[in-house]
Amino acid sequence: MTVASSTQLVCFVILSSTLVLGSLAVVLLPNIVYSAFLLAGVFLSVAGLYLLLNASFVAAAQVLVYVGAVNVLILFAIMLVNKKENLAPIPGMALRRLLSGAVCAGLLGLLIRVAFTTPWALPGPTPVGEDATIRIGEHLFSDYLLPFELASVLLLMSMIGAIVLARRDVFSTDIITGEPADQVLIEKERSPLLLEPTDSAPLRSSP
Amino acid sequence: MLSNTVVTEGLPSMGLDLQSSFIEALGGLGLGPGLARLLWLPLPMLLVLVGAVVGVLVNVWLERKISAAAQQRIGPEYAGALGLLQPMADGLKLLFKEDIIPARADGLLFTLGPVLVLVPVILSWLVVPFGQNLLISNVGVGIFLWIALSSIQPIGLLMSGYASNNKYSLLGGLRAAAQSISYEIPLALAVLAIVMMSNSLSTVDIVNQQTGAGILSWNIWRQPIGFVIFWICALAECERLPFDLPEAEEELVAGYQTEYAGMKFALFYLGSYINLVLSALLVSVLYLGGWGFPVPVEWLAGLMGQSVDAPLVQLITGAVGIVMTILKAYLLVFFAILLRWTVPRVRIDQLLDLGWKFLLPIALVNLLITAALKLAFPSVFGG
Amino acid sequence: MFGFLNKVGDYTRDAVGAAKYITQGLGVTFDHLRRRPVTVQYPYEKLIPSERYRGRIHYEFDKCIACEVCVRVCPINLPVVDWVMNKATKKKELRNYSIDFGVCIFCGNCVEYCPTNCLSMTEEYELAAYDRHSLNYDNVALGRLPTSVTSDPAVFALKELAYLPKGVMDPHGVSPTAPRAGRLPAQVIAAEASEPS
Ligand code: SF4
Ligand code: SF4
Repeated sequence: MTVASSTQLVCFVILSSTLVLGSLAVVLLPNIVYSAFLLAGVFLSVAGLYLLLNASFVAAAQVLVYVGAVNVLILFAIMLVNKKENLAPIPGMALRRLLSGAVCAGLLGLLIRVAFTTPWALPGPTPVGEDATIRIGEHLFSDYLLPFELASVLLLMSMIGAIVLARRDVFSTDIITGEPADQVLIEKERSPLLLEPTDSAPLRSSP
Repeated sequence: MLSNTVVTEGLPSMGLDLQSSFIEALGGLGLGPGLARLLWLPLPMLLVLVGAVVGVLVNVWLERKISAAAQQRIGPEYAGALGLLQPMADGLKLLFKEDIIPARADGLLFTLGPVLVLVPVILSWLVVPFGQNLLISNVGVGIFLWIALSSIQPIGLLMSGYASNNKYSLLGGLRAAAQSISYEIPLALAVLAIVMMSNSLSTVDIVNQQTGAGILSWNIWRQPIGFVIFWICALAECERLPFDLPEAEEELVAGYQTEYAGMKFALFYLGSYINLVLSALLVSVLYLGGWGFPVPVEWLAGLMGQSVDAPLVQLITGAVGIVMTILKAYLLVFFAILLRWTVPRVRIDQLLDLGWKFLLPIALVNLLITAALKLAFPSVFGG
Repeated sequence: MFGFLNKVGDYTRDAVGAAKYITQGLGVTFDHLRRRPVTVQYPYEKLIPSERYRGRIHYEFDKCIACEVCVRVCPINLPVVDWVMNKATKKKELRNYSIDFGVCIFCGNCVEYCPTNCLSMTEEYELAAYDRHSLNYDNVALGRLPTSVTSDPAVFALKELAYLPKGVMDPHGVSPTAPRAGRLPAQVIAAEASEPS
């Protein structure tokens, strides 16, 4: 065993154990903030696995999108809505837990079966390495164009949804007078950042 | 991570390649190339780590001295000649201070936060080139790696803000996260325009694409708008003064750093300054021709009747490259310090307005124009 | 369509204006870089306080008639005048007098109104203490004269801005005999008297 391959093995074991333990902790920990931070760790170890597979572009994209954007937004949401609330205990909690556990175990069994029955071609295809970026770009704009565009439509939908949610407190009528309110006026006018010097109010000149 | 990134061998004749010389030298002593390479690996990392810390010390000294000059003060004077040892004294003081974890704070996250802030910044030094082969690793995804790594930072900030159990810390952390998410997008778009011109994400290729005509071939002439966008966004990412809302002392005491003392505070401090130096270095790499001398070195060598491949010329070129990179970076740092004492802090809504309503559309337009120009004039805008 | 173009135009003008003002500001900052520092290295160098400096109050016990005017004019009734009536001589006998400089606002009212001029304001401003109670000066402490900056051999005395010649901002290296900007009241009177009107 050479130095490189043993390093690879050690890295793989560390990364996958953090991955498995981390994702278990994400699900099982009672503190949601810990779960969110651990989720970042899980994403990072997935990125590490990509690196092990010589897919550095995918790894960087994983870090940028999942850790940098998705996870930060999850954390953001958690911290903005950090209200202590005593929720009423849900009836039949044990049964629910058992059911969801069974579903997960079933899924795991299915995946393991698939993994063992598929005739994997060993060794796998040679990694393209640095050319991966170009290849990904080519695929995205040729045979994977439709999924790519569909994903962008999905993003557009969620963006519109976010705008609707954020702007729901704009009323069509003025609450106090009952008159129809001009939607344009409700928007705050952009504050004049740069005052042009006029004759009546000249700007004080700097020395 | 390093063991798997492909270290490109570099064109054999271009620039001096310390790695292959080192491996050859050890091979002469009877060591196999694999082992020699293993011995080589930590050396550049250590060198860059030390370089980054020294860069921060220089930066702190410059910041104090230039701030003093801008305010007609003297600045640090007694610690060493011209106060040169002042940053060391600061560091030592922080090292010996008591490490306080506030009661009812979350000890684990409180400790992990500063680490998560510092580590990505240091990792990003992986891709900073000081010469053709003078970088830790010429990773293919180069500049993209930096963008990805810098997006980890807000998690550390949110973590320390949350763990401090202090409303100012939490607000500071939230502000930092919002700020870095908003400014990452125009930053990435500005970088994308450059990447489009050089057809590569690798920092070395980006610099190589700017050599040729010396100062005239630098990207700043082809991407002036991108340069401004990048610099504004980089300042915002580093939380430098016009955008230092996360630690605005008048509003939030010190933001997410409020509860920190001693070495953990020093980690934040170090992180922000390393980040500033790193951003300045990357601006010089992306827009100011990296290690390039304003006059092409090949041309100068030709003028003196020397071959570019001569060992002495290569040594001088390498040295000039390092000096040029650092010079350009510190010029930008100087500019950032000057800006700090000129521009007042923006409000949070102005900050987000600037990011989303000004920089983002302009960056998009810049990208489109670059693409159009690339199609129209492939010889000038990279083909 | 034109509305949109107008908006874009306004936007561009705003941006250009902002860039212009920031550049101007940078110019000002840059200009400051080449000015000399005006720092006074405090414990080694000290500024000479101006003539009407309102520092620690000096008090002459022997002049005081215990009339308590100072107490009445003080905005916070600060001076403590401790006296007893001597029945035999039918005169007030002053026993103690104190002012707490931790509380005094140095307004100078007491100095202004004292009928016997036994109060005066000195140029002493170094009143830092480890304990605020030690700022409560009794008549002995109040009677001490301050050390003058100019007579202290350990201190390099520097002229204040008001004493510097016209146009000079930096007190270092200014000749001690250089005249200050403007004229003293005495000089004005002298000039007026010599004027053949
Ligand atoms: S006003 Fe003057 S004389 Fe009268 S009590 Fe005060 S210090 Fe003494
Ligand atoms: S200076 Fe003013 S405040 Fe101080 S003791 Fe005199 S009157 Fe009172």
